[in-house]
This record gives sequence, C-alpha cells and structure tokens, in this order.
Amino acid sequence: MQEFAAWAAATPLAQLLRDDAWLYPVVEIVHIVGFTLLVGAAAMFDLRLLGFGRSLPVQALARHLLPWSWVGLLLLVPSGLLMFTTQPELLDNDVFLLKLALIAAAGLNALVFHAGPWRAAGGWPHTAPAWARLHAMLSLLLWIAVIACGRLLAYV
Amino acid sequence: MKRALFLAALLTVAATASAHHGWNEYDAKQPQQLTGTIEESGYQQPHGFVRLKTADKTWLVVLAPPGRMENRGLAKDMLAVGGKVTVYGYPNRSKPNELRAERITVGDKVTELR
Repeated sequence: MQEFAAWAAATPLAQLLRDDAWLYPVVEIVHIVGFTLLVGAAAMFDLRLLGFGRSLPVQALARHLLPWSWVGLLLLVPSGLLMFTTQPELLDNDVFLLKLALIAAAGLNALVFHAGPWRAAGGWPHTAPAWARLHAMLSLLLWIAVIACGRLLAYV
Repeated sequence: MKRALFLAALLTVAATASAHHGWNEYDAKQPQQLTGTIEESGYQQPHGFVRLKTADKTWLVVLAPPGRMENRGLAKDMLAVGGKVTVYGYPNRSKPNELRAERITVGDKVTELR
C-alpha cells in the first residue's frame, strides 16, 4: 500500500495536480457531485425504508435510484484516487483510515441488505420489515460518518 | 413531521458526536512564532509548505492553497529556498516538527493564510 502510494505520488499526473491552479479544485468538485448522487440516492432510499414517502412503490424507487448511485460511485472513486496521489501521507492519517473503513462498512451493509431482506421486497407491505429498517438506519449513519471524515481531513 | 424532526435530531447528534472531540490535530492553545531559513518549499495543491530551518530544528510548516496565497500577494518566488521568513501558527499535537501557519512574514510583507 505504501509502495503504491509512493508510486502514484511520483506520477506526472500527481505532479500536474499539485502544480495546476484549477485541476485539484475541479477534482474536488467532481468528488462532491459524486457523493451528492451516491449518498443522496442512498439517503432517499433509506428514508423510504424508514417509513417516509410510503406511497412510493419501494421497488420502482430502487430502480430509479440505484443506477444514479452507481454514477455517483463512478465519479467518486477516480476523483478520490486522484486527490490521494497528491498526499500519500494520508496513509498515516487516522481519519483517512477511518474513512476507508467506514466506506467498506457502508458497502458491506448495502451488499448484505441486497442479498438478504431486499430479495423479499416484492412481498413487503407499505412498511419495510425491521431487519430492512435497521440496514437503512445503519446506511444513513455510515454515509454521514464518511462525509464527516472526508470534511475533517482538511482539519487534522 | 414529528418523525422527520426526530430523525434530523438523531442524525445531528450522530454527526456532531463524531466531530466533537480531539479531531483537531493542531493545538491552537500553544501558538508559536518561528523564524528561519527556507530549506525547501512547495507552492502546490492542496496546500503549500516550507521546510523551515530554525535555531533548534527544521520544521515542516503547512501554508495555504497556492491560489489563496497568490491572491493575497504571496507569490511563489517569495518562498524561494534560502529566504528568511517568520511564521506564526499552531504545532501539530502528534508530529513535533509540524506547524500549521496562520500567517507568514516575508521581508515586511505579512500574509494571512486562513
């Protein structure tokens, strides 16, 4: 990991990111647009599971939101990697490592939800079962914590 | 509405609880003023830096984003190696050689960095 970070930091692209006046801020903006889409879509879906907007059919809502969350991820990962290459020392930063762990936890939570309670969603009444609501609550908390860590990186 | 308020309150508590304590790496209660010679400097994203050789040790002084420094009149060549500068800022709690500068003085030009 340290070797990869050192290699990435030495690439001409990382150097360009450090030197150019606009490239880094643009990448930051792409990252923010990415998480408005990913976390926004996840939050709207989680809120539906928690009982808000119960008139909306939950499976149709998921069909609308899920592809957009993938678009968000597609913006997030490359922009995040690019920003990382300018500061490989982030690997020694506890907040950064916590952020990575929280992202992994949020991903795992979504995976377990889709492989588990979501399979039976066709038969749900207007309210989602407790098990699904737990995943939704966890998802909200984890993604907010991820954003908090990302923001705090600028202060630690 | 009640549910929405409850949820908003819960999320606010969760977010502020995680932000509440000990996150700020730089100790604003122990401000320091350092004068020294620039050994290395980076006018780069996301923030510039100088390695400042003072009487007792060499500090890594974290500055501001280059765009902001330029807007405030702290040009790249003012941070040239060998130059003498004074910085005022806060030391890192866990890295004893690192300081986040609030302002930098080059010659008689003072630049606020925050």
